[in-house]
Amino acid sequence: MSRGLGKDVLLSVGIDIGTSTTQVIFSHLTIQDMSSGFSVPRFEIVDKQIVYKSGIHTTPLLSPTRIDMAAVRGIVAGEYAKAGVDRTTIGTGAVVITGETARKENANEVVHYLSDFAGDFVVAAAGPELESLIAGRGAGADTYAKEHSTTVANYDVGGGTSNLAMFDRGRLVAATCLDIGGRLIRVDGGQITYVAPKIQELADSEGIRVRAGDRADIPTLKRVCQAMTRMLEMSLGLTPKSAFFPRIRTEQDKDIVLPGVPAFISFSGGVADHIYGSPDDSDPFRYGDIGVLLGQAIRESAALKLITRITPNETIRATVVGAGTHIAEISGSTIEYDESLLPLKNVPILKLNPADEASPTAMRQAIREKLEWFRLDGELQLVAIAFQGPRSPSFKQVGQLAQSIMEGAAELLAEGFPLVVISENDLAKVLGQAIRAALPGQRGFVCIDAVGVDSGDYVDIGTPTAKGRVLPVVVKTLLFR
Amino acid sequence: MYQENDVRDMVRAALSELLAAQGGSAPVAAPVSAGATLAATTVEEGFCPDVTAVSTKDEFHVPDPENREGYLAMKQSTVGRIGVWRAGPRYNTWSMLHFRADHATAQDAVFGEVPEEFPAQQGFIAGQTLCTSKDEFLTRPDLGRKLNDETKRLFAEKLPKGAKVTIMVADGLSSAAMVNIPDIVPAIKQGLKGFGIDVGPIPYVKYGRVGAMDDLGPLVGSDVVCLLIGERPGLATGESMSAYMAYQPSADRPESWRTVVSNIYSGGTPPAEAGAHVATIIKKILDAKVSGVDLSL
Repeated sequence: MSRGLGKDVLLSVGIDIGTSTTQVIFSHLTIQDMSSGFSVPRFEIVDKQIVYKSGIHTTPLLSPTRIDMAAVRGIVAGEYAKAGVDRTTIGTGAVVITGETARKENANEVVHYLSDFAGDFVVAAAGPELESLIAGRGAGADTYAKEHSTTVANYDVGGGTSNLAMFDRGRLVAATCLDIGGRLIRVDGGQITYVAPKIQELADSEGIRVRAGDRADIPTLKRVCQAMTRMLEMSLGLTPKSAFFPRIRTEQDKDIVLPGVPAFISFSGGVADHIYGSPDDSDPFRYGDIGVLLGQAIRESAALKLITRITPNETIRATVVGAGTHIAEISGSTIEYDESLLPLKNVPILKLNPADEASPTAMRQAIREKLEWFRLDGELQLVAIAFQGPRSPSFKQVGQLAQSIMEGAAELLAEGFPLVVISENDLAKVLGQAIRAALPGQRGFVCIDAVGVDSGDYVDIGTPTAKGRVLPVVVKTLLFR
Repeated sequence: MYQENDVRDMVRAALSELLAAQGGSAPVAAPVSAGATLAATTVEEGFCPDVTAVSTKDEFHVPDPENREGYLAMKQSTVGRIGVWRAGPRYNTWSMLHFRADHATAQDAVFGEVPEEFPAQQGFIAGQTLCTSKDEFLTRPDLGRKLNDETKRLFAEKLPKGAKVTIMVADGLSSAAMVNIPDIVPAIKQGLKGFGIDVGPIPYVKYGRVGAMDDLGPLVGSDVVCLLIGERPGLATGESMSAYMAYQPSADRPESWRTVVSNIYSGGTPPAEAGAHVATIIKKILDAKVSGVDLSL
């Protein structure tokens, strides 16, 4: 009954396939009951320990638009063997595909294939904003913001993209992604061999001439890097946005407005080492690209110096560490579920808003209507019904909730789908028992709480841990669209 | 009123002397008639603001804090009285009043009586311990652990023998905690029903302490007794309830034989959710045939 008895360690894997590099890490997530032992259990992830870091591999590509899946698989299998990890012992984790790589033709296929290959409950994740969040957490920006009760932005400047995540006291408040990266201009033997189209446009708009085939002139490339740096400045609200700025956003249709200028900034990603000052900047083209020059331009930017710079926990490994250690959450500790249904992967969220939750009738109606959004080619699919739920519901309210959910989801149940219910407030056990009492026959269901999700999210729910008390959960904000 | 005017005149006279001694002049106020004083004093019909209207978590009195938002966010994680500021080494008036108000709530919870009609309204079978008054209950813990003879006869007659589970309710040290009963009891019953276990009539014990379950246990011979009892209140709430559970409880068993879930109230573990959890623990106790520290949860 005392602290420490309900302790469990989950082995978690993180795999990051980025524009330039592919990496693997393994970590131990310690889950422990933090309650006094005289009250209801409260499991939390109390420790995250990285136990193995792979080498940094160059991401294998078959062509500019295709990832070499066999080669990636070889890298991952090799790292599992080197670490001595059996895939069946993996409790959780994530495969993320980031930067420009995420836009390759076969990205979706690769990431899903790898997540199956990596372990039973390893999730596939991608999407620019999720990537920003993962890198920010891997860099430790969220922890810094929480511990110092402040705002921190992390910019993960990689080969193909720069991912911005801003945290206010640990909570993500803004995320975006720009097509700015160290590998968007490549250099070989003193000659420019590749210029990414958007960087070409940016240079043109600034009246700077860079073309593949040109001599790699350092002052010219520096000017391009300064122009790229100005895009970062604009995204942080340090300087007014130019007419060109919207073009550089990875997601053209999504503007970024930070709630304010962050108090602190950290840089991660492959370019970060050159922002903080690398031991060896003597050869600006040592990686065959403009990574070193871009790092120097960011370091020297007067505007960026306006924000106090802090050192991240990780630089080039921030994303893989984030994927391996900071993606999995755990559910509340008083929940109800049928183990035979788990794990559940890629379940879309049907989120009810406060108006939907206002009355049992509204709730029933809202579930019915919103279920239609998930009808693909006339077929319903499995969805998770998510809502906030009352803070301390009466027993009667719980009964009404169960009734509304079952009536609202009647069609889903009629077609043989299990019921998956997610609430934010602490009520899943009593609600689950109410559903069990009312569900016809031996129908399966999963009812968990303490998980916040939104419309458009997907959720993965893993197999039970900590003696069945909690379920690992991964909320994926954006998948491939 | 005349007395008050006298006092005022004395103060004015003293002030005049003081000012004269300092080389100043006496106050230039003209003599005031009693009628004018009455007109100047207005008696307002109204109330002082309710000091407890704002939760201690949201109340913040530090002047010019370095980081107000950060401090307030930190306060959300505790019911501790931080950021109340001070006057010299003492509380400010507001903090003092809030402290006294919360203390009064706790006192009310301890000294207040559960309404006589409460057990009947809930359909409970009402009995009492050997205590005959609140004073005796508070000063004689030993008597609060024993059912009186009449209660024993009543419970022996009305309660089923050898039930799997008996739920029992007692006022304990908080009458206010009974507010949780309408939500926790049906939740426990629903949860147990899910395991195929029905619960019979519920005995209610006035002036009951935790040990009273040891007196009931042998009387009815239930496998598990689950006692829902008001907790000794602190300054955070007066409504907190505990659920004590034991496998075949008796006075011979040690305290460590009890399993407890505490902090059940709207601001802690919600009573309905706690009831669902309690039902699961009861099932585990039934399966393991042990309780307390011997039970692996």
